[in-house]
Amino acid sequence: MERVDRKLGVLSALPLLALLAVSFLAPLMVIAIFSVMPQKVFSLLNVPDFSSFRVIVEQGYYRSLLWSLGMAAVATVLLFLICWPLAFGMAKVFRRFSLVLTVAVVMSLFVSENIRLFGWVLTLMKGGLIEGHLRAWTGVGFDSPLYNVPIIVFGLVYVYLPFMLFPLAQGISMIPDDARQAAADLGASRARILFEIDLPLAAPGIVVGSLLTFVLAAGAVAESKILGGQAVIVIADDVETAFTFGQNWPLGSALSVLLILIIGGLAVFGVSRVDLDAIMGRRK
Amino acid sequence: MKLTRRQFTGRALGTLGAVALTPAGAAWAAGGRDNEMNILCWEGYNTDDVLGPFRKAHPGASVRAESGTSDPDMINKLRAGEINVWDLINVNQPWARDQLYPENLIRPLNKERFMPYFEKMSPEFAKPYPLAFADDGNLLGMPQRYGPFSFVVNTDKISRKMAEDEGWNLFLDPAMKDRYGILTYDNWNVIHMCLTAGLNPFAPVDEAGQAKFRTVAEQLFDGAKLLTDDLVAMNTALINGEIDAYFTGGTYTASPARFDGATNIRGITPSSGPVGGKGGVVWVELTSAVNNPHPSPLAEAFLEFVQQPEICKVVAFAEGTYNPIAQMGNPEVMALFDKDELDAIQMDSLEEEMARSLDYAPVASYDALIDIYTKARRS
Repeated sequence: MERVDRKLGVLSALPLLALLAVSFLAPLMVIAIFSVMPQKVFSLLNVPDFSSFRVIVEQGYYRSLLWSLGMAAVATVLLFLICWPLAFGMAKVFRRFSLVLTVAVVMSLFVSENIRLFGWVLTLMKGGLIEGHLRAWTGVGFDSPLYNVPIIVFGLVYVYLPFMLFPLAQGISMIPDDARQAAADLGASRARILFEIDLPLAAPGIVVGSLLTFVLAAGAVAESKILGGQAVIVIADDVETAFTFGQNWPLGSALSVLLILIIGGLAVFGVSRVDLDAIMGRRK
Repeated sequence: MKLTRRQFTGRALGTLGAVALTPAGAAWAAGGRDNEMNILCWEGYNTDDVLGPFRKAHPGASVRAESGTSDPDMINKLRAGEINVWDLINVNQPWARDQLYPENLIRPLNKERFMPYFEKMSPEFAKPYPLAFADDGNLLGMPQRYGPFSFVVNTDKISRKMAEDEGWNLFLDPAMKDRYGILTYDNWNVIHMCLTAGLNPFAPVDEAGQAKFRTVAEQLFDGAKLLTDDLVAMNTALINGEIDAYFTGGTYTASPARFDGATNIRGITPSSGPVGGKGGVVWVELTSAVNNPHPSPLAEAFLEFVQQPEICKVVAFAEGTYNPIAQMGNPEVMALFDKDELDAIQMDSLEEEMARSLDYAPVASYDALIDIYTKARRS
């Protein structure tokens, strides 16, 4: 009876597990199978020929992939540098004010990303909020910073700030003040406290924040389209083109699979290196 | 763990709910489709101005419309199995002729019911419009919105006459470097780049032609100040003087700016070109009946409904973009437009622009050209 009772839990969970498998894994499986199909077919009932992966190499799709990953990496590093002092303040210094900051940052998430980015276009474009006023007042204008790579990175930093800030603040709040004070009492310099106390103890927050921003930024497309004027074509853009105007589902699937593998690999590697339970506040 | 009776009932109900969510369950839960109609369309047909009166005429019917952002997006939905969801699909005619009909995703319309409507259309469509028919003679869909589609200039910077005379060469002029944008409607860009390279996009392009296409594509992307697939962003850049012209565009993209008062933004059809002297292209939408296994009788009723003059006017000026409609051949329809509206859709030059335009057709060497195009765009 004991044994049956123990099994009941698993049995009760089965329908939901099946539903999850169907709704979560099945689409991924379909994408994976499509990725090995011959070019431009719309059915999974074909003989796999892996031609999409050859096309990816031959057609230079790796360039879009490298641009996406490169810009995501730069944005992640910038975000870490920007968010660290801010997060430190939120976790240790600001007290009441950190609530104001949290609300302010979260509020920005209520507005659609596209609208916020288009707001930046109106602000930065020639004759826009900044250049237009400057020219009207002083007669001197300047070229708009839009439609190039740095502005895309700026867009990524702007849009994904909350995804770095909050995990980082969470990570920093796990650093015991006693440890920092003890280190200071024992004569450690500020830099030494940062590198030997703060950074290692906040590592779970750093990893989670960096993973979130990197993963999201690598798959981002709106920043390059709206702010960047497609100065570079990102991988998500290529996926979209393959599925739509290219009418080449296998190629789009192969590009997606490639991106999923790279990002999934990174995520698994990153998560395996830190103690996620610690940041979730769970005790073992 | 012990399972109480209450827990068991709850879980059993949950399981039943999950089953209802599966396709088999949906079929079991769904009834007939006589009182239901779903339209997949370009923006316009999905507005309350169009659907409201139709709902009023069919009380109790559930009428739903969703707008797509591109022809292939909408076609993908049908390919992915939504053929039993939609009753009508509204796409540009080559997609209907080349993709939907051959793959049995749409079914022919009842000719007896719909042929009379062609008689009241503008002369180009009254013959009737040949591309509304499949090669086997079946009527694939009803034309309504259309428009010349080539490029757009700011006439304060580049005169209409000069733009028409220069045609596509305008964008190859070294003086235009960084003074134009490319509206990245990929399939249209391919057509327009062929014309710029002096090629016929609708005939097979050989090796030498492809090399020419590559040179033109690379030069155009290299000289473009911005690329975007957002026509509002493009018009904004044009109005602000960020650019003086954009590659790929026409009444469809220029009309919102013109209707807002920026009448210096104008769609241009080149006065000459490489294909029988023509250098412009015109798009024509067809609204077709989806080959739904459980078709709704309301689908054809809706197609008739949008032929009424008042509804025609609403479709032409629905929202987002404003477009000429084939039904403007009917004086009753024409009388509903005021001067500003006609100016927004460039009615003054519509006829001559149409005469200088090629019908949008499937691009014969699309596979090869889109590869060259995306490669050039990425570099």
